[in-house]
Amino acid sequence: MAHKYKLIYFDRRGRGEVARLLFAAAGVEYEDFRFKKEEWPKYKGTTPFGQCPVLEVDGKPLTQSNAIVRHLAREFGLAGKTAWDQAQVDMILETMQDIANPISVICLCKDEEEKHALKATYEEETLPRYLEAVQKILAANKDGKGFLVGDEMTVADLSLFWTLDCIPVMVKNPTAKFPKLQEFRDRIAAVPNIAAWLEKLPKTADWDNSNVEHNP
Amino acid sequence: MAPKYKLVYYDSKGRGELARLLFAAAEVEYEDYRFKEEDWPKLKGDTPFGQVPVLEVDGKPLAQSNAIARYLAREFGLAGKTAWDQAQVDMIVETMQDMGNPVIPIFMCKNEEEKAKLTKTYAEETLPRYMEALQKILVANTEGKGFFVGDEMTLADLALFASFDWFEAGAKNPLEKFPKLQEFKDRIASCPKIAAWLEKRPKTEF
Repeated sequence: MAHKYKLIYFDRRGRGEVARLLFAAAGVEYEDFRFKKEEWPKYKGTTPFGQCPVLEVDGKPLTQSNAIVRHLAREFGLAGKTAWDQAQVDMILETMQDIANPISVICLCKDEEEKHALKATYEEETLPRYLEAVQKILAANKDGKGFLVGDEMTVADLSLFWTLDCIPVMVKNPTAKFPKLQEFRDRIAAVPNIAAWLEKLPKTADWDNSNVEHNP
Repeated sequence: MAPKYKLVYYDSKGRGELARLLFAAAEVEYEDYRFKEEDWPKLKGDTPFGQVPVLEVDGKPLAQSNAIARYLAREFGLAGKTAWDQAQVDMIVETMQDMGNPVIPIFMCKNEEEKAKLTKTYAEETLPRYMEALQKILVANTEGKGFFVGDEMTLADLALFASFDWFEAGAKNPLEKFPKLQEFKDRIASCPKIAAWLEKRPKTEF
């Protein structure tokens, strides 16, 4: 019997969106439970670590967005076909964290001078280094005309797709110097299941400082 | 034929130690390649993302410490026995990030007053909140006398064990109020294969 899935998260994309993209890509039904920011204190104590998203699978909780994403990817056959492919997919997922996390840190920084310096480093060194490396990986696989790993979509592709959408809050047009990444982004957006999700997903604000309030 | 493993990292524990603990727990041979800091600029360009650790498997590179750890754990049967167990193990490994990340700003903070404030928050709120939750998970599994997930050692146990040193860099005696976690730490340290590694590993500050 099919599992009953419930994803519990804020009414925004943030750390819930890659899970939602996985459900969309796999065509699997789930309850997309979204609560408002002011309702969080009510739910916080019921979660394993006082954080969300939480994925309930037949009522049993799993937390930590990346653990949720990897679990769903494996369940849906989107984790990579071989052990080595799975490791490469995993490496890319981790790298998406390295790209996205500094954005939160910079947003939260209270000292204007430090914030300015951090942003400059991110824009001029950190981000180009990662995007260059990711584009290289993409280009090495079917000349960059397909997916990041193997010959089918994996969660690595969905995670990169989402991350590319997160970056502009800090750095405009991140793919301006990375044409293969821009083509990739457009290609994923055009995949029928993904296009359908993008069409229907609730249009919410993202990347306000509260996006990181569940981190210590 | 068995794969040829080479772990490339600094001569320190840091983000390389979890992989080393996995090799030790599984008793699998590997080349523990440690470079000096001054050699890093030379090596950096050869890595996938300009970072270490990198694990080479028959010469093919894999970067990102947790991707390396999860790959080795799966290869060695230390990832969890069922899909759900693997997800629970994964959840605990991810939590190590959340517990460890605040240490970096504490370290980097130059203002003594601010540093004291950050340390206080970490030691009195952040870390205990997670320790409490982890102890609860441990106790719910064989009354806290065994491992975090299932009835055998997994990556989750080693990840927490490897992280204790890091937490202590931000907060003194973090296990003081968490006896079951202290017992857990001692239990892992005395597992023969782990104890053997702790004995022979190069002694480094971090």
